Amino acid sequence: MRERITFVQKEGDSIEPTALKVDGNGLKGPEVKAVREDRLTFALDELPAELKALLEGVNQLHVRWVSPVAYEAVSPLLARLPPGFHLFYTPGSDALINPCPLLTKAFGLDSCSSPSDSFTTLPTDRFTHSTTHQFYQPLPSLKAFAHFARSLLCPPGSPSSCSSRVGSLTAASQLDLSYDTISHTLRLTSLWPYSPQSLSASLLSPTIRTEIGILSQTSPKTLEPHEIGISGLLTVLGQSTTPSPTLFSFPSRHRDSSSSFQAHFLPPTGLHPTLQLSISSPSPPAKSPTEETCRLHGYFTLPKTLFPDRHQLNDPLFLSSKNLTAVRYITPGIDLEAPVYVTSTWGSTLLLELAPPHSSSSGKEWTAEIPLHLRYLPPSLTGYQKAEVPYPALFWACTAEEGTKFPGNPFEKDRVGYDGLFGERTVFWHLNPSPADGKLVNTVKVPVLNLEKADWVGTVTGAVVVAGFAWVVIKLLGVVVMGGKKVGEDKKKKQ
Amino acid sequence: MTKPSGTGQPKPPATSSSGASSLVTTFFDRPLPLYLSAAIFRLVFLLYGLWQDANSPVKYTDIDYLVFTDAARFVSQGQSPYKRETYRYTPVLAWLLLPTAHVTGNRTLDVAFFSFGKVLFAISDLVAGWLLEKVLAKSMDAPRARKFATIWLLNPMVATISTRGSSEGLLGVLVMALLWAVLERRVTLAGLLLGFSVHFKIYPFIYAPAIVWWMDNERMSPNKTKPTSLSSKPPSLTAKILNFITPPRLQLALISLTTFSTLNIAMYLIYGTPFLQETYLHHVTRLDHRHNFSPYNTQLYLSTSLPLSSSSSIRIEKLAFLPQLLLSTVFIPLVTAKKSLPTSMLAQTFAFVTFNKVCTSQYFLWYMVLLPLYLPQSSFVKNKRFGLAALVLWVVAQGAWLQQGFELEFLGNSTYLPGLWLASLAFLGVNCWILGVIIGDVR
Repeated sequence: MRERITFVQKEGDSIEPTALKVDGNGLKGPEVKAVREDRLTFALDELPAELKALLEGVNQLHVRWVSPVAYEAVSPLLARLPPGFHLFYTPGSDALINPCPLLTKAFGLDSCSSPSDSFTTLPTDRFTHSTTHQFYQPLPSLKAFAHFARSLLCPPGSPSSCSSRVGSLTAASQLDLSYDTISHTLRLTSLWPYSPQSLSASLLSPTIRTEIGILSQTSPKTLEPHEIGISGLLTVLGQSTTPSPTLFSFPSRHRDSSSSFQAHFLPPTGLHPTLQLSISSPSPPAKSPTEETCRLHGYFTLPKTLFPDRHQLNDPLFLSSKNLTAVRYITPGIDLEAPVYVTSTWGSTLLLELAPPHSSSSGKEWTAEIPLHLRYLPPSLTGYQKAEVPYPALFWACTAEEGTKFPGNPFEKDRVGYDGLFGERTVFWHLNPSPADGKLVNTVKVPVLNLEKADWVGTVTGAVVVAGFAWVVIKLLGVVVMGGKKVGEDKKKKQ
Repeated sequence: MTKPSGTGQPKPPATSSSGASSLVTTFFDRPLPLYLSAAIFRLVFLLYGLWQDANSPVKYTDIDYLVFTDAARFVSQGQSPYKRETYRYTPVLAWLLLPTAHVTGNRTLDVAFFSFGKVLFAISDLVAGWLLEKVLAKSMDAPRARKFATIWLLNPMVATISTRGSSEGLLGVLVMALLWAVLERRVTLAGLLLGFSVHFKIYPFIYAPAIVWWMDNERMSPNKTKPTSLSSKPPSLTAKILNFITPPRLQLALISLTTFSTLNIAMYLIYGTPFLQETYLHHVTRLDHRHNFSPYNTQLYLSTSLPLSSSSSIRIEKLAFLPQLLLSTVFIPLVTAKKSLPTSMLAQTFAFVTFNKVCTSQYFLWYMVLLPLYLPQSSFVKNKRFGLAALVLWVVAQGAWLQQGFELEFLGNSTYLPGLWLASLAFLGVNCWILGVIIGDVR
């Protein structure tokens, strides 16, 4: 087991080595504004039996959790996903292995039953670096996971700092759990938002090698356009008591476009809500060395309560009226009719290319609209239910120069869903979601059947149908009787 | 063909006194003006639709048409039409629309090819109208027959539905052809049409009992003397049954069943389980009862969404097929088919649609095609006020439902209860009343 703790300040901020106190048990320093990332790496043998058995049976398992509370990200930790619990998964040779029970226990999920029922399949013919399955569910907090992690990381006898550190997971804005058969290691990465905090880090356990960095982005003159530079202080607990300065650079897959956006539903939502994106600028990121190849995309993770209709999103006229260019990916086989209560798969993924206005008025806010459709939801006592829809991830996808790959990025974050839908040399320039209410989730009020008024539905429907039926039968009898009379009259006349 | 006496005589001067009515008379005197205007009427709708599709994000073309044409494209690539989700029709429809998948590279030609299906549906409308006239002309003169056929031919609702690319027009022509073939005593043709229509859209099976019942010895072989009429004893039950099984009835049953099964076996051999699942089983297993005019809709939403144990309400929807099938396949044909086959078929269709578990406005076309055959001797036409009142009631009940549906669909108000539910029950009431009047008109 080893640990890496990183504080990332904004470009230009730095800290004097003398301000830090380092000893074998931890690091103490002043309060600064920074992002904190903790990364724990486990060998398979260091894991509890249940988890080990599961991981030995899978090929790839990547959990990506994102908080619904808006947070500020700092370069290079910029990768974004829609908030909620994402799973990107490739089964091993035994396809019957089911990760759902353990994940349900660890994260407090409620809709993961098995890969065949709950997961969607991803296109693996497109790019080889994609996993084969995807699962998602809205998950507002890591409370359940903090509880699970405490039993995993802090066995009886651990220092109290262990428990409090695990407890702080509930304040994290992102959490990653990554395993693949090539590395044979499980990586647990948690990220806390950019905020004032004291530079303090303590050992989880004396047996763990712990590396600590206090870094910020820098732009030395020698930097290539596709690279970012990092400078700061590094130390390994127990090995030295003075942090050593460092400076390095690498190409980064996730960059900041310095634009922002908001997403909200246009009222009235009805049963066909339209999600409107308000985007601060129509211009591609000026800093991108390959600006002309950049296309603005939206990556949507839509729970099963609502869905996009790919046939509707097929017509160029319709798309351009919504400032959209085309659907680049949509989960195949989305049922366009089934109510929620008979739908077992988690929902659907949509990758849309947006069409920014061509005007020279760069920096002018513009909008794009995404038409969606609600499924029938179960009846309620009020006549309404809520459907929560996570913010999409918006980014300019730019093709990097030939030969650029992303090795050597110590902060590389992959398996974020959309990266599997682009070539390996794509750089994602993210737009910063900035909701007015600070929540990265929109809520739609869905009209449903009101159970309070439903007591008599069966009886009255039955009665009205029977009455209607009886009326028609009486009229038929009338015809029979009249017909009989007529025949009789005819006979009489003949006589 | 036997025409009632008095037809073909000069009209009384009163009808030709005003210019307008003489114009109307000239319009119906010959077939050309009516059919030409019906064709132009549809052409205008079709061209307008093309314009709207090309210039507005709101499309004129029905979403179903895109389903058919996508399916036809799959077929043209040698694949199954069921690769297109929500394609719930016989593969024959996709085959018929194969020209819509043809791409030339010339934009105008491609649009024309793509519109082939709409043209086909519109032509079906015209042929159905022509058959209507032929059937009507059995009991009235041709201009009067054309006047009633106009209700179908120049009906904007009918023209809209077919030019938007809904396939119901095909059903119209099939059912009219079936009726015409039966009335002409063309049993083989009738059997083929019956088998094919049921394969195409299931519901025409309701016509089988009416046609079989109607095909008695007096009608099918009026020259032969009946053996029973010679004996004074009332016939025994066995004799009755034996009497019922006549060669034409056997012929119809055999040909229609053979046609139906051959088509189904062939489609199953070509396309396998998806054909059975999508075309037939889907209608049995579907749980996606989005709001529609059916009286059972609210109850279905309630019962399918709640776990079995928690719902104490009566599961009436399980018995929904009973009133529907009893009326449309047993009671109505038994009582009315021998008196008036067209009216029986109209009443059966009306009952089938009214009591169906799913009911949308497309289904109204199923009975609308038969309406002109009944109207000439109906109390709705004899008493114009009464007829108008019935029409208004039918429209108002639908309007009430549509208003509630709009509030739900677009404003997001929870109108399932009581609004939509009561509107659907009221619509059922109005429909039952109209059905009662239609049945009462059978003499």
